[in-house]
Amino acid sequence: MGKMRKTKSFLMSTAAALLGLAALAAPVSAQDITVIWADDSTSDVTFDPRVTQSRHEEQIIVQVFDQLIVADEAGKLYPGLATSWQAAPDGMSVTLKLREGVKFHDGSPFNAEAVKFTFDTIVDPRTGSQGAIDMIGPYDGTDILGPYEVRIKYKRPNGGAIDSFTENELSIVSPAAVQRLGNQGFAQNPVGTGPFRFVSWERNREVVLERNEDYAWGPEFMGKEKSRVAKIIHRYIPNNATRVAALEAGEVHVADIVPALDTKRLGDSGRYKSMIGVAAGLSFGALFNTTRPPFDDIRVRQAFFHSINRPRLAQNLYFGLVKPAFGPLAPPTPAYWDGVEKYFPFDQAMANRLLDEAGWRPGPGGIRQKDGKPLTAYFPVLTLPDVAVAMQAEARRVGFDIKVENVLKQKQDEVLMANQYEMAVIRWVSNDPGVLAIPFHSSNIPEPGKFKFNWSRIADPTMDKMLADASAAPTAAERTRLYGEIQKKIMDMAIFLPIHDQVQTVVHTAQIEGLRYSRGNWQVRLVGAKPAGR
Amino acid sequence: MRFVIRKILGLIPLLLFTWTLVFAVMQVIPGDPVNLMLAGVPASEEVRANERKRLGLDRPIVERYFHFLGRAIQGDLGEGFRSRQPVSTMILEQARPTLELAAGGLVVGLTVGLILGVIAGIRPNTWVDTVCMVLALVGVSLPSFWIGMLLIWIFGTMLMWVPITGRGFSALILPSITVGLFIAGGFARLVRASVIEAMGQDYVRTAKAKGLPPVKVVLKHALRNAMIPPVTLLGIQIAVLIGGAVVTENVFARPGLGTMLVEAVLAKDMPLVQALIVYKTAAYVIINTMIDIVYGAIDPRIRVEQAA
Repeated sequence: MGKMRKTKSFLMSTAAALLGLAALAAPVSAQDITVIWADDSTSDVTFDPRVTQSRHEEQIIVQVFDQLIVADEAGKLYPGLATSWQAAPDGMSVTLKLREGVKFHDGSPFNAEAVKFTFDTIVDPRTGSQGAIDMIGPYDGTDILGPYEVRIKYKRPNGGAIDSFTENELSIVSPAAVQRLGNQGFAQNPVGTGPFRFVSWERNREVVLERNEDYAWGPEFMGKEKSRVAKIIHRYIPNNATRVAALEAGEVHVADIVPALDTKRLGDSGRYKSMIGVAAGLSFGALFNTTRPPFDDIRVRQAFFHSINRPRLAQNLYFGLVKPAFGPLAPPTPAYWDGVEKYFPFDQAMANRLLDEAGWRPGPGGIRQKDGKPLTAYFPVLTLPDVAVAMQAEARRVGFDIKVENVLKQKQDEVLMANQYEMAVIRWVSNDPGVLAIPFHSSNIPEPGKFKFNWSRIADPTMDKMLADASAAPTAAERTRLYGEIQKKIMDMAIFLPIHDQVQTVVHTAQIEGLRYSRGNWQVRLVGAKPAGR
Repeated sequence: MRFVIRKILGLIPLLLFTWTLVFAVMQVIPGDPVNLMLAGVPASEEVRANERKRLGLDRPIVERYFHFLGRAIQGDLGEGFRSRQPVSTMILEQARPTLELAAGGLVVGLTVGLILGVIAGIRPNTWVDTVCMVLALVGVSLPSFWIGMLLIWIFGTMLMWVPITGRGFSALILPSITVGLFIAGGFARLVRASVIEAMGQDYVRTAKAKGLPPVKVVLKHALRNAMIPPVTLLGIQIAVLIGGAVVTENVFARPGLGTMLVEAVLAKDMPLVQALIVYKTAAYVIINTMIDIVYGAIDPRIRVEQAA
């Protein structure tokens, strides 16, 4: 046995040595700091703003790139790479004066050429743009009016142009770097003018960014002092429990998408601070299939809406961290109309009355019936099955039998394209109220082989015209008015049940402060981070 | 030597077969790669058409099959649908963390498995045996994600002895234990059975009768001969580990081939799935061939039989 004992003691001493060496993330120091961010994905493939369609990739892009115009969390616009801008009264173009003395991380100058290059390549099919190409609108070209002045032209009036310049996807890229690296190379080595420059990327493990020492052109609301953040390490930790554990062990300073229960627990401990960002775009809500019974009858849809106690549901599932939603657009979205808040209060008596009127009579087991058929509906869900199940229980009280099935994306696509569902939940993060066309324009009804998002399958010529008019509104005020009318119409038609706000739950150690959401409350700008209280 | 060459040649039709099978299965399972890729964006028909063209999905299925195959024979496995990077580069990048975890898991698994198995095998049906086998059972039965979470909670969050995530040797400890305990469980049971059998053999009795110390009897005479079945199992385990430990990778936020394959299948990233399956198939065959050779080293009787 002597040999074996030796082996054992060797193992133990090795283990002890290893444990002693275990290096944890350095505590936040008084001077320059490193911020370690824990991201919940492993799916990043490109950091080219012109190509991306992923909020995870944008978390890097928002640090590395600047936009022409910058919006703060409240949506107020500030000069970014453009110092002033003027939209043409007819909405057909925008003229921008550009900031002088700005350099890309590769040393090449930012100027009118860079803006033209960025936008021209977005619409070039060879770039393979997945997000920017739709955000840039009916882009018709860029006129260079001077070294630091451009006119962006559109094929149709584009009232959303100025807002669109705040989007991460329309960040300005370094033409020299794209030409040197090619599109593929640039996707792996992004070069912008932002507060941090890209250093390295180990796929599925981490991305490293370093402070851009030349950065002196940040938007006014971010303050003029130099960033205290010398380095950002962006780690990929897809497992929720591990991400939270890493935060608690001090291995990371900031974690995104922290589950509600942990957000509450960590916040209560006083050692962590949470940032609950209400994402702009569509509220998390359900679309009701208007082409199939029972929801082809508006009274049945209204009854369903009245049967759900949304404030209670949000409280029970999210401990008060998430608020119930009332309209198709989330409150931070430009052109949000607050009239939606009066629609569909929780009212079981009203729900019962509507169902009675529609001919659905109480039947066995508390499930209503009509012509011998029970009041059932198939409800496939991709994410958040707990919300669907909570709704199922509430609707049951007035006689609905909702069949909830938790499905994979592939299965969801199939049933949606084949029109074999009665309801489905949708979520969409966007800073553009034009997002309403995605689930409500008749051209977006899914067909076999064509996956689209009008899951209520509403084909209403008036709605289509309203959406087209709103997207072509020449001024922002007109646009707000037209989108307000659209929101009212959607609520009147009872085709979308807003359930709760779509939130981003970022939790960070209380040792740091100064983190801010970028527009849309989805990505976090780390440039302002600093040791707490210093 | 001829044996090795035969095995390697046999790999070619096998790879072609798996390649074709994977291609066919990927066509049959539901989901459109472009939809899956663009699921989260308001992509216009224009974007979708561009993507379809870029991925070559607008071409007929037979043409696509031979196109992929033709390029593969020339050593070009193509570019990932999503990443737009060469899949061979992507696999090479992820191979290192996968091999690290495989090595770590094997070291832990073999050490723990061997110790438990031998102790139990030389004292069968005693309380020592029972304790060892219960431990082995725990190792095989508990799901990796649960063991991983438990280790994270105890050693990462509470005691803070080792990092939970990150790179380097110290960050490899917990995932290695997680993978290792699973391997140790099965390994220990096989070692135990083989040791019990070997201990009853004539040559062990002879060794004992010669008056050799018990340790030498067990380690030199019994264990060596008892290793054939465990080594066979080991071969399979190595091949599995080289393919990536999906759950452990996820729990410890490690990059790796397992995660890569799962993501590729869910995204219907054809070139990446094809390349990964080819890699895995080759790994299985090569490792099993190596195990066959190891048999001869362990047990000279097998060499004699092959020569005869």
